Amino acid sequence: MSETTSGPASGPATDLAAGAAPAAVSAPAPDSGSGNGARGAPPPRAGGGRRGLGGFLAPYVFLTPALALFVAFLAIPVGYALYLSVQGLRIVDEGVFGTRSEVFVGFANYADILTDSTFWAGFGRMALYGVIGVPLTLGAALLFALLLDYGGARARRFSRAAIFLPYAVPGVIASLLWGFMYLPSTSPFSHVTEELGLGGIPFLDGGWIFPSLANIAVWGGIGFNMIIIYTALRGIPPELADAARIDGCSEWRLALRIKVPLVAPALVLTGLFSLIGTLQVYGEPTMLRPMTVEIDQTWVPLMYIYRDGFIRDDLPMAAAGSVVLAIGTLVLSLALLRVTQRRTFGGAQ
Amino acid sequence: MRVRIPRRLAALAAVTALLSSCGLAGGDDDVVTLDFWCWGDLQTARVDAFNAAHPDIQVRRTDAGGGNDSATKLLTASRAGNAPDVTCVEYQTIPALVVSDVLADIADHVGGLADEFTDETWQLTSFEGQVYGVPDDVGPMVLLYNRARFEELGLAVPATWEEFAEVAAEARERDPDTYVATFSPTEFGNFAGLAQQGGATWWEVDDRRWTVGIDDEASQRVAGYWQDLIDRDLVNAEPLLTPEWNNRVNRGEVLTWPAGLWSPSVIYGIAEGQAGDWAIAPLPHWEGESDAVAFQGGSALSVTNDAENVEAAVEFVSWMETAAESTDVQISGGQYPASLSGQEAAVLSDPPTLTAGQDDYWDVATAAARNTVPHIQWGPNVTTANDAYADAFSAAIRDRTPLTDALARTQREVVAEMERVGFPVTG
Repeated sequence: MSETTSGPASGPATDLAAGAAPAAVSAPAPDSGSGNGARGAPPPRAGGGRRGLGGFLAPYVFLTPALALFVAFLAIPVGYALYLSVQGLRIVDEGVFGTRSEVFVGFANYADILTDSTFWAGFGRMALYGVIGVPLTLGAALLFALLLDYGGARARRFSRAAIFLPYAVPGVIASLLWGFMYLPSTSPFSHVTEELGLGGIPFLDGGWIFPSLANIAVWGGIGFNMIIIYTALRGIPPELADAARIDGCSEWRLALRIKVPLVAPALVLTGLFSLIGTLQVYGEPTMLRPMTVEIDQTWVPLMYIYRDGFIRDDLPMAAAGSVVLAIGTLVLSLALLRVTQRRTFGGAQ
Repeated sequence: MRVRIPRRLAALAAVTALLSSCGLAGGDDDVVTLDFWCWGDLQTARVDAFNAAHPDIQVRRTDAGGGNDSATKLLTASRAGNAPDVTCVEYQTIPALVVSDVLADIADHVGGLADEFTDETWQLTSFEGQVYGVPDDVGPMVLLYNRARFEELGLAVPATWEEFAEVAAEARERDPDTYVATFSPTEFGNFAGLAQQGGATWWEVDDRRWTVGIDDEASQRVAGYWQDLIDRDLVNAEPLLTPEWNNRVNRGEVLTWPAGLWSPSVIYGIAEGQAGDWAIAPLPHWEGESDAVAFQGGSALSVTNDAENVEAAVEFVSWMETAAESTDVQISGGQYPASLSGQEAAVLSDPPTLTAGQDDYWDVATAAARNTVPHIQWGPNVTTANDAYADAFSAAIRDRTPLTDALARTQREVVAEMERVGFPVTG
C-alpha cells in the first residue's frame, strides 16, 4: 500500500512511522540513568509542529477502531437504555381506545420495579439457584482440573475433551435435553426408580426445580471452568512441584497446599464468570417453563425484564429493570473482587 | 495509479447499477408489492393462488412466528416504521395493537364486506364503526372427545357441565389412569371462552372508559366448577401440549378437550395414530342456560398504518377471506373459515383426519359457529392478562390455593397495569 500511495500528501501513516522511529530510538534513554525526568520531555515532541501533532494524534488513531466499537455497541446502547428507562408509554386521548405514546416519566419506572415484590422474589430464586450451582460448578471444575494435572492420570486428552464437550452443547438444547430427562413419562431416571418400586423422581415439582435447573448449568459449565483452571495449573513452574515432592510432600498435599493457592486468580476469574452467569440466568428456566407449573413468567429477573419488554410491550420498564440488574451485577462483582483480591493477589497490587 | 482508476470505475459502475435498479423498481407503477406477515403452512398456497390471480398485486409472505411472537415483532417493526402492509393478528391482540397505533382503520375501504360474516364474527374486528381487520378463521368452541375410548368405557357424551362432572367421575371409576379432561393453568383463551359462555364480560369499553370484569360472578362460577373437579381428582390439572400431556393423549388417558374448532388438527399433530377415533360434540352448557358458545383463538387479517397502498391491501384481504381458492385451502388444512361462504364450502368437504369417522362433523361445527356469544370485547392489555392468568393459576394449582383467588389476582394485576399506563378504568 505505501508504495502505491507515495507522495507529499501521504497521510498520517508516514507521519506515524516517522514519529514512532525517534521514540523507539530514544527508548533506552530512561534506562540509562536519566530517570523520570526523561518522561517530561519526550523526544518526538521536540521534532517540530507537524511531527508533534502526529505524535499527539497517534494514540487516538490507534484507539479509533476499539473506541468506535465501544461507542457503537456499548456506550450508545447503554445511554439509550438509560434514556428509555425514564420514559413511559402512557395513554393519550386519540382513537377509539386511546393511544399509547412515549412520554417522560422521571423515575416512575424505577419506583414501580423497585417496589414490585415479584421482581425481588426473582432475585431470591436466582440466589438459591446460584448457591446450589456455582459452588458445584467450581468445585467439580477444580477437582477435574487437578485430576487431569495429576501426573498419574490416564487418557488425559480424551477425558479433557469429554468433560469439555457439554460446554459445546448450546444452552437451549441442553435445557430441552435435560427437560425430557426430568419429565415423568420420558425420564430414564424415574423409569429406573419406578421399576424398583420407589416411584418417580419429582424433578420438576416443588423445591426440586432448583437442583434440577442448577444441574443443567453445572453440567454445561464445568468444562469451560475446568479448562481455565487447568490452563492455570499448567502454568505453574514444574520446579515448584518437584521441590515439594523432594521435601516429601504427598500428591494430595501438593494439590491442596501448592496448586490450589497458586491457581487462586483463576478461581476468582471463574467465580466471577459464574456469578455473572447466575445473574443472567434465563435460558434454562425459560425452556423448562412449558414443562412445569413451578416456573412462572417472572421466575428470575431476566425473565421479568423479557416479559416487560417483549410480552407487555413496555420497553421503558424493561430498560429500568435492566439498569437495576446491571447495577446489581456491578456491585456484586466489585464486592467479590474486593473480598478476594487481597487474599488472592497478595501484595502484588 | 493503475490501481486507483479501475477502483474508481468499479465504484462508479456500482453506483450506476444501484441507481438504475432503483429506477426500474420505482418506475414500474403497474405492480404493487405487499408485504404480508402470517404464520402457518396454509398461507403459502393461499398467497400463491392470490399472486397467480392478480398480476398487478404481488404479495410477499413472511412467517414472523405464531400469534404472540408475531404481535410482539409487529409492535417493534411498527415503531421502526417498517411494519408489513398486511398482517395476521389474533382477535384478542387487536385492541392492544390499536392502542399502540399499529393497525389502520379500513372502514372506508371494506364496502359491503361485513355481509360476508355473521354479526358476532364481524364484531371481533370492528369497534364503534371502525374496522381494524377482516376475520380470517374462527374457533367456535366445541367438545372434542375420544369417541373410541368413550365407547370402550361406556360413557355418554355430556350435554351440560353438570353431566360433564358426572362423566368425569364415571371415567375415573372405570379406568383410574384416565381423566375426562385437563384443566390447564396456562390456557388463558380457553378459560376466557368458558367464562364468556357462562356470561362473563372481561372487558368493556364505553367512550374510552374501561370496565374490567375478569373476576366477575360468572367467571368465579366457572373457576369454582373446575376447582371442584380438581379437588375431587376428576380432572388433571397440568399444562397442555407438553411431551407429558401428549403421551397421555396417545395412551388414551385424556378423553376430551373442550376447545376451538381448530382442536382436531392439533390433536392429530400429536396423536396421528388416533385418526378416526375422535369426534366433536356441542360444547356442554350450563343447565337451564343458553347454549351459545364463545370463540377460542382464531385470527384476522389487518392492514397496518405503514401500508402505502391501502386499496391494494384491502383487495388482498377481501380476496383471502372470500375467494373459494383461498377458503378451500383453509378447510383442507383444518382451519374453519370466518366467512359465511367459506363455512358453507366447509360443510361439503370431508371432516378433518382426526375425526374422519364422524358423519355429522360439519353439522355440529356449523351449529356452533352460528350460535356464538355476541359482543366479545378484548382489552388493551390481553398479553398482560394472559401471563398474569398463567402465573396466578399455575401458582394456585401448585400451592393448592383457590382458583377464585387466582382470578382475583389476575384482575388486580390487569387493572393495576391499565391504571399505570393511564387508561380510565373501573374494575
